[in-house]
Amino acid sequence: MAKPRELRRRIRSVENTRKITRTMEMVATSKLKRAQDRVVAARPYAQALADVLADLYAPELAERFPLLRQPGRGTDRRVALVLITSNRGLCGAFNANLIREARQRLATLEEQGVVVDLHLVGRKGAAYFRFAGRAVASQRIDIGDRPTPAHAAELIGPLAEQFIAGTLEGVEVVFAQFRSAVSTPPTTLRILPVTAPARGAASGGDRAGAIANYILQPSAHEILERLLPLYVQNQLYRALVETAAAEHGARRTAMKNATDSAGDMLDVLRRTLNRARQAQITQEISEIVGGAEALQG
Amino acid sequence: MQVTIISPERTEFEGAADAIVAPAFDGLVGILPGHAPFLTLLGQGRVRVRRGSETVEVGVSRGFLQVAGDTVRIVADRVM
Repeated sequence: MAKPRELRRRIRSVENTRKITRTMEMVATSKLKRAQDRVVAARPYAQALADVLADLYAPELAERFPLLRQPGRGTDRRVALVLITSNRGLCGAFNANLIREARQRLATLEEQGVVVDLHLVGRKGAAYFRFAGRAVASQRIDIGDRPTPAHAAELIGPLAEQFIAGTLEGVEVVFAQFRSAVSTPPTTLRILPVTAPARGAASGGDRAGAIANYILQPSAHEILERLLPLYVQNQLYRALVETAAAEHGARRTAMKNATDSAGDMLDVLRRTLNRARQAQITQEISEIVGGAEALQG
Repeated sequence: MQVTIISPERTEFEGAADAIVAPAFDGLVGILPGHAPFLTLLGQGRVRVRRGSETVEVGVSRGFLQVAGDTVRIVADRVM
């Protein structure tokens, strides 16, 4: 049986660890709240942009806009894969899941004979691919958990240029979709070429085709040309914001589990300690009694 | 009429208005209640939303302005 002194030392150590995990859990909870608010606040813009594009879009226009052009002859078999991970760890399998999704997509694309440029956002993804020894087209670790539309613009700008120039046949993003704090599946989204948004249910059936009655200034063609880049940029922005929120959700869950198991460990350790302490007392009493009896006898 | 000014990050302004002046791509446009359905690109400048004697000013750049029925949506890539 373990010595009481040894047990006390371990209890202290587990208690200290539990204090840290509990604090991290609370910090993650409050950051999650704010990150979640940002995800919700970003929805009206995305919805408004998608509604207008859906109204203006016509399939016959696709050929005329470089951003809508489906890959065909004359484009390189090259795809840019943007992987968004977090800068910090201690969030369970969050980054591992994202990296696995990216590696699967990478394998699928390479099987089809496509050259893949990896663009990494976040320290964890960068660290993994450095370890795996794979060449990376770009990486940045300065975005943190408060991404802005400007960050998205910086990321997508060069990729959109390459896409328009025809040196890329597509741009895909691997990110954590934020369905809820506990459901954040890693997702691959193709943001270029643009898939025209479907007329959303939110815009209602009565608005379908209503754009024909609009006064358009300038022409539908020019409006589309200006708004498409904003739409692409916004998709990336949303991927960044959702991943940031998902990270805090994952960390909260991981830290809650850690705090709970520290509690379970403490229960067991305290029970063992008490048993050892009682055994020691019982032994001392029986030694004293035995000694006294020996003196009387 | 109802006005919403939306940026990628959040809804910046939401409320009723008597008149709006906004910077379109080719110059200022004024919107009064009862305006015909209208869609235009935004340039760079300040949106002025007037209600009674109060005026709210918001700087915008890029995006679009949409008038549909009695609601005006100003969707801007950057709001300052």
